[in-house]
Amino acid sequence: MKTWTKFTAVSLAALGVAAMASADEITVYTALEEEEIGAYIEAAQQAMPDTEINVLRLSTGKLGARLLAEAGNPQADVIWGWAVSAMMDPQILEMVEPYEAKGVEVLPAKFRDEDGKWFAPIGYMGAFCVNTARLEEKGLPMPASWKDLEDPAFKDEILMPDPNSSGTGYLHVNAVLQSMGEEAGWAQLAAVDPNMAQYTSSGSKPCKSARVGEYTVGISLAFTAMQSIEEGYPLAMVFPEGGVGYELEASALMASSDDKEGAKAFLDWTMSEEAIQLYQQYKALITVPGVDASAAAEAAGLPADISTVLADIDFVEAAENQTAVKEAWKEKFGR
Amino acid sequence: MSVTQTTTTPTRRWADADRLLTIVCVGLPLLGLVLFFLYPMLIVFMRSVAVGDGYGLGNYSKVLGSAGFWRATWHSLFMGSATTALSVFLGFIIAHGLYRCAFPGKWLIRSVIVLPLLAPSLVQALGLIFLLGRNGVISRALGIEIDIYGFWGLLIANTLYALPQAVMIIGAALVLLDARTYEAAEVMGASPTRQFRDLTLPAARFGILNAAFVCFTITITDFGNAAVIGGDYSVLATEIYSQVVGQRNFNMGAVVGIMLLLPTVVSYAIERQAMKRQETGQQVGQVRFQPAFTPARDLPMALLSLLICAGIVAVIGIVVYASFVTLWPYNMALSVKHYDITLAGGYSSLWMTIVISLMAAAGGTLAVFLLALGLRRLPRAVAQPIQILAAMPAAVPGMVLGLAYILTFNSTATPLYLLYGTAALIAIVNFYHYHTQAFLTLMTGFRQLPRAFEEAAGCLGAGLARTAVDIVAPFVAPMLISVFFFLFMRSMVTLSAVVFLTTPHLSVAAVTIMRLDDAGLTSQAAAFSTCVMAVVCLALLGMKATLAMMGRRNRMNGAS
Repeated sequence: MKTWTKFTAVSLAALGVAAMASADEITVYTALEEEEIGAYIEAAQQAMPDTEINVLRLSTGKLGARLLAEAGNPQADVIWGWAVSAMMDPQILEMVEPYEAKGVEVLPAKFRDEDGKWFAPIGYMGAFCVNTARLEEKGLPMPASWKDLEDPAFKDEILMPDPNSSGTGYLHVNAVLQSMGEEAGWAQLAAVDPNMAQYTSSGSKPCKSARVGEYTVGISLAFTAMQSIEEGYPLAMVFPEGGVGYELEASALMASSDDKEGAKAFLDWTMSEEAIQLYQQYKALITVPGVDASAAAEAAGLPADISTVLADIDFVEAAENQTAVKEAWKEKFGR
Repeated sequence: MSVTQTTTTPTRRWADADRLLTIVCVGLPLLGLVLFFLYPMLIVFMRSVAVGDGYGLGNYSKVLGSAGFWRATWHSLFMGSATTALSVFLGFIIAHGLYRCAFPGKWLIRSVIVLPLLAPSLVQALGLIFLLGRNGVISRALGIEIDIYGFWGLLIANTLYALPQAVMIIGAALVLLDARTYEAAEVMGASPTRQFRDLTLPAARFGILNAAFVCFTITITDFGNAAVIGGDYSVLATEIYSQVVGQRNFNMGAVVGIMLLLPTVVSYAIERQAMKRQETGQQVGQVRFQPAFTPARDLPMALLSLLICAGIVAVIGIVVYASFVTLWPYNMALSVKHYDITLAGGYSSLWMTIVISLMAAAGGTLAVFLLALGLRRLPRAVAQPIQILAAMPAAVPGMVLGLAYILTFNSTATPLYLLYGTAALIAIVNFYHYHTQAFLTLMTGFRQLPRAFEEAAGCLGAGLARTAVDIVAPFVAPMLISVFFFLFMRSMVTLSAVVFLTTPHLSVAAVTIMRLDDAGLTSQAAAFSTCVMAVVCLALLGMKATLAMMGRRNRMNGAS
């Protein structure tokens, strides 16, 4: 009987110790794509076996709504790979804490917060999704720039996300405004407005509608375009002359985290050699100097040096002007 | 003295027990409504009046001052009315066909009509576009381009979604009409048209008005259809999405959410006003109506019903078909490759969803039954406000409800925090999201229950509990069953409220579908949806079979 009690006590204690050892758990909120998340987490979990990494994936907008709704009692330890324009919202910046992840110093100043609240080794970019089958059927010329979309032949053949409900929409509008200048930029948007069949609420929808032949051109994301091409849709990915908009995928440490060690270790991992090698398999846009983008991206029509197709974006300015631009857009083109 | 005392005490004890039971009957569901609907909405309301660090009406004046809001409001009201008119009209045809006409194949209509309820929202959206889109099957077959995006597309999509709920509620009113009234009318030589106009229509009025109220409310709060097929036809629900998800402006989103309650309260008040003129309850000794085959009435009814059903089958069938197609619409070779789903958690969320849905359906059916039962015994002045409260949840867009739940239950201020992140909370949000439909269906059924039944049972000494179990429950059993199935089906597929409540450890099928679609894997999302529909169908068949078996056993027990 006594041995039994002892045995039970000892095993209970052992269980307790084991539970404590594995009690390190971090919750990561991300807007990265499903496919990459799996690969990154598998590698990260091996690199830090003592911490269990739980991931919640939501689209950029929904993730923001969730973070704000939870602000009273935040559930996440880390925000990982989330649009920097969303991260720069003062309500969000209030929730995160500066942290200098190991290796972050290699990033050019443009790709990290000056107060150290976020850093972005990766990003994504916009693109025109052109359905080549429908283009041919309608006898339309392949567009190469925003200007080409002014052609009245494209009437009701173009879709674009509404910047007021989609981050991708703002990415494009901002790129046009910053690369062409305020005045010319608004004039350009006004010139294509009559051809717009719809302004959608989702950023990937224009590409998904274009790939099944509902419309000819979907102003959308390069990721969706590349994936659709890989699946076999008759789609061409076009980067408009003068530069396409892009967005950084930023990471940050939540100030409320109750496992800061684990959270910091994870953020360190996202800047590690191993992580950067994985980025090369999945990402079109890597901001770490001297690291090339993925081979798959090149196969889908991405130039080896993507800086040639990117617009020159000032993210701080983009974040600051956000509200004003969205309101002006709604005023001019809201339907 | 002592003699009278001994004789009155048992009766009084009964009365006291009954009163206590009534209080429990109303109190428990009411407590639920307060905790899981009113309280979260109060918190949303606080957000809508939060300006900076203080409170004020600044957000309201900002919303009311924008042209976009008024355009969206007008669109919402117009779309709501059009959808309501169409769904109630078609819903009446089908319900009338099912319960007042005689033709074979009703089981087919009965099963098809619920399809839009058990299909994830993605299915309906994809189906309409594959079918009627600019590059859709019909457009290509006819060689013309139908422009479905906008008012007409949205009207069709909303009607598809509202129709089953209209049929359910109107059906609850028609199924219990007394056959003897019709026999009397027949004997007195009233023509079928006259019978329909003077007997059927007035008797179904409560159901029709309830159905109209539900259709209107769910249409103006629906976001999914508007986003997919509404094109640039902006409605209030898209306005909320743009404020909350697009611009992370909670307070403004809360304002629009609160404003959406207004038309609902107004339409409910109108409905109540209209109802006042109708007498309550039916006569005793009902005989269920057994329609005889009348070609002039039944053939057109059957044809119309089948036509509507064919439309529903086409929309859902084409998505099921497309999920087996290699690359819609460019490579039509059949393949099962889309069913190999490994991303977004794969099939693992399916089983958890069934458990959650059963919880929502069982708990929800019991709650609305108790509430409807208790309300009958309360004075009008008390019952009325509770009824309005019980009918209000449909006016809250799922997204607003989901966010309200985070704001409420993710706060350590109350012990309710323990619910956050549990399956129970997801079941609860599903139930309260669809509370209105469940409650109104049951109320419609209860209205046909002759008060004399309960009175007679009371005179014979049956307490409320006994009356409820032996008299009321068997009478409204068809409604209880349809409420249970309705809640089950909606919980299996509903997304908007749940999307904000899932955690890394707890996901549901609808969220998996959304994640697959977000990841650009529309065909896999369609495949997963098909699996969900198959599972729901199997579950429904299983439950129906169990019910049938139980019914048979009961009848055999009764006979012996």
